[in-house]
This record gives sequence, C-alpha cells and structure tokens, in this order.
Amino acid sequence: MAEMLVDPARCQGHARCFMLAPESFYIDDDGYGHVVEGREQSFDEENVRKAIRNCPERAIKVVGADVD
Amino acid sequence: MSDEERNLGEFDYHGVALDTIFDDYAEMHDSSPVGHSSKYGGFWYIAKSEDIFAAEQDPETWSVGPSMLLPAFGTDMPLIPIDIDPPTHGPFRKLLLPMFTPMAIGKLEPGMHETAIELSDQVKAAFHENDVVDVSALFARPYPTIIFSRLAGYAEEDWPMFDQWIDDIIYERTKSPEKATAAGDDLIAYMDRLIKANRDGTASGGIMGELVKAEVDGRPLTHDELLSYGYLLFLAGLDTTAWAIRSSIWYLAQDAQAQQFLRDNLEAIPDATEEFLRTLSPVQAMARTALKDTVVNGQQIKAGERAVLVFGAGNRDPEVYENPNDIDIRRENNRHLAFGGGIHRCLGSNLGRKEVNISLEHFLKTIPPFELAEEEPWHGVGTLRLRLREES
Repeated sequence: MAEMLVDPARCQGHARCFMLAPESFYIDDDGYGHVVEGREQSFDEENVRKAIRNCPERAIKVVGADVD
Repeated sequence: MSDEERNLGEFDYHGVALDTIFDDYAEMHDSSPVGHSSKYGGFWYIAKSEDIFAAEQDPETWSVGPSMLLPAFGTDMPLIPIDIDPPTHGPFRKLLLPMFTPMAIGKLEPGMHETAIELSDQVKAAFHENDVVDVSALFARPYPTIIFSRLAGYAEEDWPMFDQWIDDIIYERTKSPEKATAAGDDLIAYMDRLIKANRDGTASGGIMGELVKAEVDGRPLTHDELLSYGYLLFLAGLDTTAWAIRSSIWYLAQDAQAQQFLRDNLEAIPDATEEFLRTLSPVQAMARTALKDTVVNGQQIKAGERAVLVFGAGNRDPEVYENPNDIDIRRENNRHLAFGGGIHRCLGSNLGRKEVNISLEHFLKTIPPFELAEEEPWHGVGTLRLRLREES
C-alpha cells in the first residue's frame, strides 16, 4: 500500500506542510516535519495535496503511488 | 513591460535598480537565464527556479563565503550562520532551531495579536487627524521591531536607534559603504553591551540569553561568535519583515478588489501572504561562491567565481508559475523561494510569516478601505503614504 513520508534528508523546516495540513503533519522540537502516525495514506486529501505542492524542498514523498 | 533594451551586463538588485527589476527578470527568462553582471566585483546571476533550487541543495559546490550578502552588511566578519559552510554551519544553526519552530512561535501569538491591534488603532487615530498617514513609519516598521525585540531581548529604550542602523547598513551600503560601516560599528558595540548584560544577568534574556549559555561541539561560543550571531539576527529579524508588511499593504492599496476580498475572507490572508512573498519579497537575491568548476544551464562557471541566486527571478519563472507576473492572492501552487532553501533556509520564516499574517489581519479589521496617496516604490522600508478611499 502506498505511503507518504517526509524525507529527512530534504526537509529543512519550512513547516508549510504543518501549516496547510496539521492533521497529517507535525513538527518536531528542531522544527523538522513528519507524517502523523496513522495518516500515511492521507495523500489524496485536498489539504495534503496542497501541502505536497507547496513544500519548497519537495521533501514530501509518496512511495508506491503517482501524486503530482 | 518596457521596450527599452535592458542591460543585464550591469544587472543590480539593490536600491533604485529594484524599480525596474521585474523587467530584468522577464528578459532573463526570455533569453538569458544565466549571465554575467559587472556590478559588485562581478558575478554570475542565476534566474531559473530549478537552477537556484539545485544550487541551494549543493553546498559542496556553492559556498556561502565570504558572505551571502553582496555587498557586505557593514562588516567584514562572516555572519553566523548564513556565511558559514558545513560542517561548521550545522551545530550553530541547531542552537536556535528550537526557538523558531511553529510551536515556539505559537507561544508568542497572543502578544503578536495585541501589538498588531495597538498599532492598527494608532494608525486609525492618525487618520482622524490627517488625510495622509505614513503606514511604514507607524505600522510596518515598528511591528517587527517590537515583536522581534521581545524575543531577542532588546530593551525598549534602545528601539529608537534601530531604524537608522538598518537604513545605513542595509540601504545605504551600495551608495555609501562608510555610512554602513559606521552604523555596523555601532551595532557591534550594541551587541557587545547586550552580551555583557546577559553574562552578568542584567539583561532580560531572550535569544542572546540562550546563546551565552549555549555550547557548540562541547564548548561555549566565543565572544566574536556571539557578536556575529547577534549582528545577523538583528538585521534579519527587523528589516525583512518590515519590508514584507509594507509591500503587502502597498499592493493592497492599489488593488481594491483584493483588499475587499481579504476584508471579507480573513482566513485567506495566509495564501495572500505567500503570494506577496513570492512576488515582492524582501530578499530578491543572495550570493554564493563556486568551490569548483561547474556548469549551470549550459554556462561554465569557474571555481572562485561569485554567483547570485536571484530568488525574485526564480519566483517569476514562467516554467513554474502560471502568469508569473500576476499577483493572484488566491494562488494555490506557490512553492516560492522567498525564504531560500536547503541548509540555509531562513531560520525565522515561521516568525516572519506569522508577523505578516497577524499584522495584515488587524490592519484590515481596523483601517477602512485605503489607497496610495502618491506613487511609492514597491520595495524597501521607506514611506508608505496612504489615504482612505472617498466612498468609505
């Protein structure tokens, strides 16, 4: 099954994902983004798609599915 | 668009050059995505979004030394953390990351609202007394001064000195480097006092209070490192946000429809802020130095040559944005470069965004429909003279 993740090698802490889709992303104490546990499949939701498109580092990846 | 042929061989991104810089960007995208300018000792400009992104992701090819700032910000000392490369860079940056997360900034929000309401009320009162009010002096500049000073631990009695230092260091440096250096010396002396006051416990703490207690690689920061970090944070924390607030209001003053839309839909402000940052960003470009021979968009660049990543041009790249020169406050695909990217992403981006969003919210809630009293440049932190619209 396809899963969404924030690539830690790319994320620089812009926090756009958290601002746009706080139900799917959280920010750790150093400011880096992560996918909320249980929300790995939420990549088709409108807010999450917007977060993916607005990540300046292109750090949000969906493994096993095609998402623009 | 101007028909006059532009001379990109003297491309500049400071001062009056900003008046017509969007025409330069259009020409770069049209015919010259990488080119050489003779300004500031000579540099290659890089205009395409993809090329800028690639350079930001590649600190092994692109050094930030001797400074990201071209010309320098009134000092020769490398500024921490923007002018240092890996592996030194990471530990210094990590010191302050926890203070600038959305959660940390969220704790400042009640005070940010309160101050935005107070300043908006003062602007409103000024409109009762005067037809024309300078909203830059009364709102766009003092707002980030107050918010950032609270976080950084600058005492209120010091605030009146700040605008002049910023004007001289950032805005006069291309015309009068001596003025910038003199103000830079004053700012260094101020940081020196702040460090001492934090060491002997007479200061209010804030960021400098954290930095004097902090360690990198198991040792405390040296005095010079504290000066450098403090110097950079002061300039980065105050000037950029003032510009962003001013340019946002400058735009809204000329687009009555957009202004009304935001009044009716305050929840749309964050998307509008992103669009203002994309198109009118306070940071139009930052410099790098090639550490090895490289090729950008077919152009050979040699080790040791300087290059300038023109974020403002990348933000108007027709290959990335539909109608790139239109300011569309409802734009949804907005992966702009206003805060840079890669390991030097603006540390204060969460704070800066919040300041613009909250200040616009209260300005629009408090001030009736407004327009420009006279033509003003889109850029900088100079005057922004507004008047209220007749029908209101």
